[in-house]
Amino acid sequence: MRLKCTSTSKTKSSIVRRFNGTMAALPFVFCILVGGISINIAEAARRQQTNGTWMRMGMLFDDNMQNDQGLPSCKALPGLSPGQRRLCQLYIDHMNAVAFGAKHALTECKHQFHNRRWNCSILDDINVFGPVIFIASREAAFAHALASAGVSHAISRACRDGQLSSCGCSRMGRPKDLKKDWVWGGCGDNLEYGYKFTQSFVDVREKERKFKRGTREQGRVLMNLHNNEAGRRAIIKKSKVTCKCHGVSGSCSLITCWQQLATFREVGDYLRDKYDGATEVRVNRRGRLQLRDPRVTIPTAYDLVYLEDSPNYCVKDDITGSLGTQGRVCNRTSPDIDGCNLLCCGRGYNTLKSVIKERCQCKFKWCCQVECKTCVRTTDVHTCK
Amino acid sequence: MPGTILENLSGKKLSILISVFLICQLACFLLGLIAPSPATTQTILATVCVDENPLSSRSATDKWFTRQCSKSIQLSDPKATIGLDANNLVFVTEMPLLNLDYSRWQQNLVGILQIDMVYQNEQKILNPMIELTLDSRLAFSDKTPNGGKTPWKYYSHAEEKRYMNCIFEERVEEKHGYPYNCTMVALFELGSLFHDYYLLNLRMPYNYTTKKNIDLGKVEDVYLHTIYMNGGFTKVWVSLKTVFFPILLSIMTWFWHRVHKLNRKPVLLEYMLISLGCTLAFLNLPIEFLSLTFEMPYMLLLSDIRQGIFYAMLLSFWLIFAGEHMLIQEHAERNTLKRYWKHLSTIAVGCLCLLIFDLCERGVQLVNPFYSIWVTPVGTNLALAFIILAGISAGLYFLFLCYMIWRVFKNISIKRSVLPSMSQARRLHYEGIIYRFNFLMLTTLICAAVTIISFILSQVDEGQDKWDETMDLELSSIIHTGVYGMWNIYICAMLILYAPSHKQWPLDPNCSDGEEVEFSRIPNESASNEISALTSLSAKTSID
Repeated sequence: MRLKCTSTSKTKSSIVRRFNGTMAALPFVFCILVGGISINIAEAARRQQTNGTWMRMGMLFDDNMQNDQGLPSCKALPGLSPGQRRLCQLYIDHMNAVAFGAKHALTECKHQFHNRRWNCSILDDINVFGPVIFIASREAAFAHALASAGVSHAISRACRDGQLSSCGCSRMGRPKDLKKDWVWGGCGDNLEYGYKFTQSFVDVREKERKFKRGTREQGRVLMNLHNNEAGRRAIIKKSKVTCKCHGVSGSCSLITCWQQLATFREVGDYLRDKYDGATEVRVNRRGRLQLRDPRVTIPTAYDLVYLEDSPNYCVKDDITGSLGTQGRVCNRTSPDIDGCNLLCCGRGYNTLKSVIKERCQCKFKWCCQVECKTCVRTTDVHTCK
Repeated sequence: MPGTILENLSGKKLSILISVFLICQLACFLLGLIAPSPATTQTILATVCVDENPLSSRSATDKWFTRQCSKSIQLSDPKATIGLDANNLVFVTEMPLLNLDYSRWQQNLVGILQIDMVYQNEQKILNPMIELTLDSRLAFSDKTPNGGKTPWKYYSHAEEKRYMNCIFEERVEEKHGYPYNCTMVALFELGSLFHDYYLLNLRMPYNYTTKKNIDLGKVEDVYLHTIYMNGGFTKVWVSLKTVFFPILLSIMTWFWHRVHKLNRKPVLLEYMLISLGCTLAFLNLPIEFLSLTFEMPYMLLLSDIRQGIFYAMLLSFWLIFAGEHMLIQEHAERNTLKRYWKHLSTIAVGCLCLLIFDLCERGVQLVNPFYSIWVTPVGTNLALAFIILAGISAGLYFLFLCYMIWRVFKNISIKRSVLPSMSQARRLHYEGIIYRFNFLMLTTLICAAVTIISFILSQVDEGQDKWDETMDLELSSIIHTGVYGMWNIYICAMLILYAPSHKQWPLDPNCSDGEEVEFSRIPNESASNEISALTSLSAKTSID
């Protein structure tokens, strides 16, 4: 089955219109979505690109970056591509939110994968995940989607916090928006703003480099773009529309609705489901993505795609970046992937009897106290050989 | 009702008049095109500030926490909340966001609270109905000419209870940190948006003995969704009213002048028409302009009352119109409201119920914008009782109306069958009544159908996501201006077409042929002896 790729603005709007529509009806379209800010691609392509990933911003995010005290300088931020650096200079106040989003994504990744062979191990290198991220695997697809979702979520949230100077509702828009600002009638949704900013910020690095059609690198670019889009859309997909009637005597003659941002945990769950159902694709000679197995259903813009099989995460391998599962705690009784059988890749496990003191029968007291009893129990801790 | 303009108007003139009405109607719809949607929301994430000594700030009305408070924390960070008490936390929302300031054109503000609560490990799943105690304070501030802000001034303070329904999806294996699915909580409703900035300081105190917030779990975020009218929509709306108001007034004076030129007392239907015009003029009166210079928190209540009076009058008009065209009059004495007391009492009871309900909700909100009748069980029952009573009277009203219309149609069909045997003058008289009635039935049905379809459309339209930039069309504002214009045009048309005709009744009905067909009647037949004419008619048919 051939997959179509168009980059016209018409296609974009048609996709956007169907955001929460039926997923099956969506054509599998890869779109080179052009962000609002033009980037000199040729100039950017000349530069070498080995400065890692912007997701590292999440690792450096700490309390002094929080709130609107002290904006970071764009030079100090790690892993930005030339285009991203330029966006950073334009939207310097967005960078706290981007870093927060990256951090949130990394934490969520660890949470979602804590009992899998690849446990979203975050290394202290410029690529955050180590060399694993260079393999165009399911895991890389998930990581890209989650990071993109994280930024989208954080920007939308920051809009509601009043941290950003330009959001869906601001008066700092370009002159063409003046008509829309008819005493705020033209206020856009913050979710939409987060989506659009992330689209320019995350996707720009993929578009700065030009590769020959049909090469592995070009396929990787398409894969990243697709997964980034899937991540952003997960935010919109999981958001809820809430309405309020406020007409005469509170009747529904006037009704107003808005999008309610889902918590990032729900988005993480959704994307993990998408990870489990990711589709394997390959890049064809014309530089388009194509299904590897024509029998499977065509992925929509909400689904994840990957190009290569995952490396063997069972054994430590410095070249692929796999850490191996040795020493990982497993569940002896579980038949799932966190069970000792699967997690230890058949190598067996060690059992250690240990006495655990833990909190139990907790009672939560608003706002900030949890009153618990301490229970002592003996358990067996199993670790992979 | 004696001969009206509708019967005496030539087909050509009538078609011109109707096309003028249709053009006006189209203009109203087009006016909606340029307006933005009636209302928009802005969601504000509350900043959590730490109040170091809550006891002293409890009584102080001049101590306000703003977004730039000395110590703000993230509730999702467990380290930040160590050693803090519920009374220490102040949820601060400054309205509006993003360096904007409210315009008085925005009319009113509704605040809805969303509390994001997450599950904690080893914590018992809570009772789904959570009683919240919200200590909320509102302050306001205005722009100064040099671009600054005046200091925050006290606006309102209340400690109110609210109920929040939270459910937890049991299928989730990893419960820790997973959110509850909670309903939103209506917090306040400001009837006027007089000041430029508002500030909400919300506290959720904890007290085990007085059962304050004892069911509340771990809250991570508190959002305030604010709904405001769009200034652009208000401008379009008020200009529509300003245009209709003088037009309606002139039509009303013309109508009343017409009625007084006849040498008889106005009949009931004419009184009904003029009072319907008066209620619509009251509705059209653009008092919204006053809210630009004066603080009028009662605007919401007033507009509810204005609409209520108009609807009550419109419903009574339909009823009496049907009654007056029944063709058979049981009593010689008529033209009084007393005959319709049974039917009209349904409208009176319904409207009174809604008025009391509205006064209980929005009337109290004048004093306390955080008040809601739905919080206490007694209030809920009372409100429900009033609404159900209003619903019952509405149902009864429609039964009465349908019954009357059915009787009119039955009479019409009886009359139709005997029409050919009548003398021409009397036939034309009855045809006039039938024509008048059918015309109103048709236009009313069209107007009602358009209204109902429009509002269904606007509800459907609003529920969908609008992500397409290219579509600037605002369906709900088009519908609002269009429907409002339609009822105005409807009433204007009624006033014009049902005004008494000044044409001299021709004595010889035979001359009325050609294009200028005119209905005429026996000039000496007054309305009061209609019954005798009918009895003689039925006698005649029985002889035949």
